[in-house]
Amino acid sequence: MDAPKVLKDNKRKIKVEFERTSLAERMKVKYLSGSFAVKLIWKIFRYLLLIGISYIIIFPFFVKIFGSFMSRDDLVDATVRLIPKYPTLDTYKYIIRENSYFTAFFNTFVLSTLCAFVQTIICSIIGYGLAKFKFRGNKLVFMAVILTMIVPHDTIKLSMYMNFKFFDIFGIYGGIAELLNLEATSIDLINSYWPMVILSIGGIAFKNGLYIFMMRQFFKGVPDELEEAAYIDGENVFGTFVKIILPISIPMMITIFLFAFSWQWTDNFYTDLFFTQSGAILMPRIVKVPTTLADDSFAAQGLYESCIKNTCGLLIILPLLLFYSYLQKYLIQGIERSGIVG
Amino acid sequence: MNADAKVLVAPAKKKKKPASLDRKKARAGWWFVLPFVAIFIAVYVPIIFDSIRFSFHELEIQATGGYDLIFIGWDNYQEALFVDAGYVTTLAAGIRQLILDIPAIVIFSLFMAVMLNDKMPGRTLFRAIFFIPVILSTGIIDSIDQSNSMMTYMGSTEGISTGAEESQTTANEIISAMDIQKLFANMKVGQGLVDYVVGLVNDIYNIVNRSGVQMLIFLAGLQSINPAIYESCRIDGASSWETFWKITFPMISPMILVNTIYTVIDSFTSESNQVMAYIDNIYRTAANGQVLSSAMSWMYFLIVILMIALVAGLLSMYIFYQRRD
Repeated sequence: MDAPKVLKDNKRKIKVEFERTSLAERMKVKYLSGSFAVKLIWKIFRYLLLIGISYIIIFPFFVKIFGSFMSRDDLVDATVRLIPKYPTLDTYKYIIRENSYFTAFFNTFVLSTLCAFVQTIICSIIGYGLAKFKFRGNKLVFMAVILTMIVPHDTIKLSMYMNFKFFDIFGIYGGIAELLNLEATSIDLINSYWPMVILSIGGIAFKNGLYIFMMRQFFKGVPDELEEAAYIDGENVFGTFVKIILPISIPMMITIFLFAFSWQWTDNFYTDLFFTQSGAILMPRIVKVPTTLADDSFAAQGLYESCIKNTCGLLIILPLLLFYSYLQKYLIQGIERSGIVG
Repeated sequence: MNADAKVLVAPAKKKKKPASLDRKKARAGWWFVLPFVAIFIAVYVPIIFDSIRFSFHELEIQATGGYDLIFIGWDNYQEALFVDAGYVTTLAAGIRQLILDIPAIVIFSLFMAVMLNDKMPGRTLFRAIFFIPVILSTGIIDSIDQSNSMMTYMGSTEGISTGAEESQTTANEIISAMDIQKLFANMKVGQGLVDYVVGLVNDIYNIVNRSGVQMLIFLAGLQSINPAIYESCRIDGASSWETFWKITFPMISPMILVNTIYTVIDSFTSESNQVMAYIDNIYRTAANGQVLSSAMSWMYFLIVILMIALVAGLLSMYIFYQRRD
């Protein structure tokens, strides 16, 4: 290309004339290069993969949704693959009516909200203590947190049941009971919300180790200067935590709450363990075939029951799905701001 | 000289006072962890202790309430290892599966996190979809899915699919359509690897379901990398492939350790784990199964702890920590 022509207009102004590359030429350079092709292929590949995996995640839900509207006629009809020919709402109707869906909904809502709320607060407090204070034994406490995460629940299933069935801290209650000549030497906490509440208060309930770990990493990323400024202004340690630290950690706490709530909502381990009475109706308990729909003489009964159980599953996750779609932006935000670094 | 030394020593002594103030503040940390420590000691330690104790006993629950324990020493452990028919084989198979699954889940979640971290149209939607399994595929939903796939294996499902396995069939179809097996075979990488990769693709639904939290952790790690580093790389003319291996990978390596350990913990404590399912079955069905199962799971626990220590030891040799001062 020639050097640009410089024309002098007057004393203070010059005019430079470039020989401009034609549009076609520029387009060629931009779009026919190797790097553009690589980028384009990468973009297409990425979208294909993302859409493919999204399909894998979402498709089972579609199958379940279609299955939930199927009637018996659909199941024996060989031409029906996915979309029911004789749709019916019977499955929903009988599950809601006979498996006492709304009671389960209410009970589980109370339990999950209670547990998730307590766990969020407690795990934040513990995480803060572990992240910001170098007291002696800090590492030991952290190891204990990790331990509660590592020990599988099945391992301690029996002793957990026994300990809450015959609840007694170091025999203190037994001693008092003996002094007062009471018959029971321990408290039976099974079939109440107490075991869950006690575990939640201690931050040792389901997956709480993970929450504590996440909160600890989050607080480690909060600059110390923030607290020092508050200390200089005469605030004590607890005041600083409540007034300065908690407000900035709300996205992270919403993330924890979302986890705690939904994992408690679908949890069947503790529900089976601590609620042995048939009277305590929680969400996992509604997964059964309603008596009206049970009919062993029907040829495809196994398949039908599977559809019914999937419908129960759908009814269980429906509130969670609404909850998730509302809060999912906080989930990403909380995680993004957490700055979890090893 | 002497006078100088004194001057040097004096401030050091003075410094002790603020140190004690610091310690006072540090002690306030105990108040924060108090709920955990109190309940851990009062409730959790007895539970763990009892569980270990039970594994050395025979349990008899009395009709009047309460229970009797008869000490039998190592009998439960001996029974689990030498008498019980399925335990050792299930254990070996379970651990083998665990070792095969870990790299798959960690690599998959890293890959997906890198993709979801790029700015592109529809990112929010994809993220929302990818984290659905974290929220929904747990507990009771997980066990419903399992009973579904059990039905398929028993061959009672004909014509209509009930969910999860439909996706897997699709994956299978894609594989056979692309003739991946042949492709790999021509590359002469060994049949074992081919089988492994094909097995993973067949199991993609399971892997996607199990890598949600890991993806979140990786995403957080990716977000915490300073954009200025990428910028200077671009200016120096590095391609995105080089940037990934020279910058992203070392910076994310601590997360790889965290995620590997999390994956081990998560898959071995989950109920979909075959060893756990076996132990759970023993708990419910076998005679004296309740204590036998705790003996079994403690042995399993020990093995997994050893594995975690091994993995952590191996990986921490290669981890890069950026000093953030």
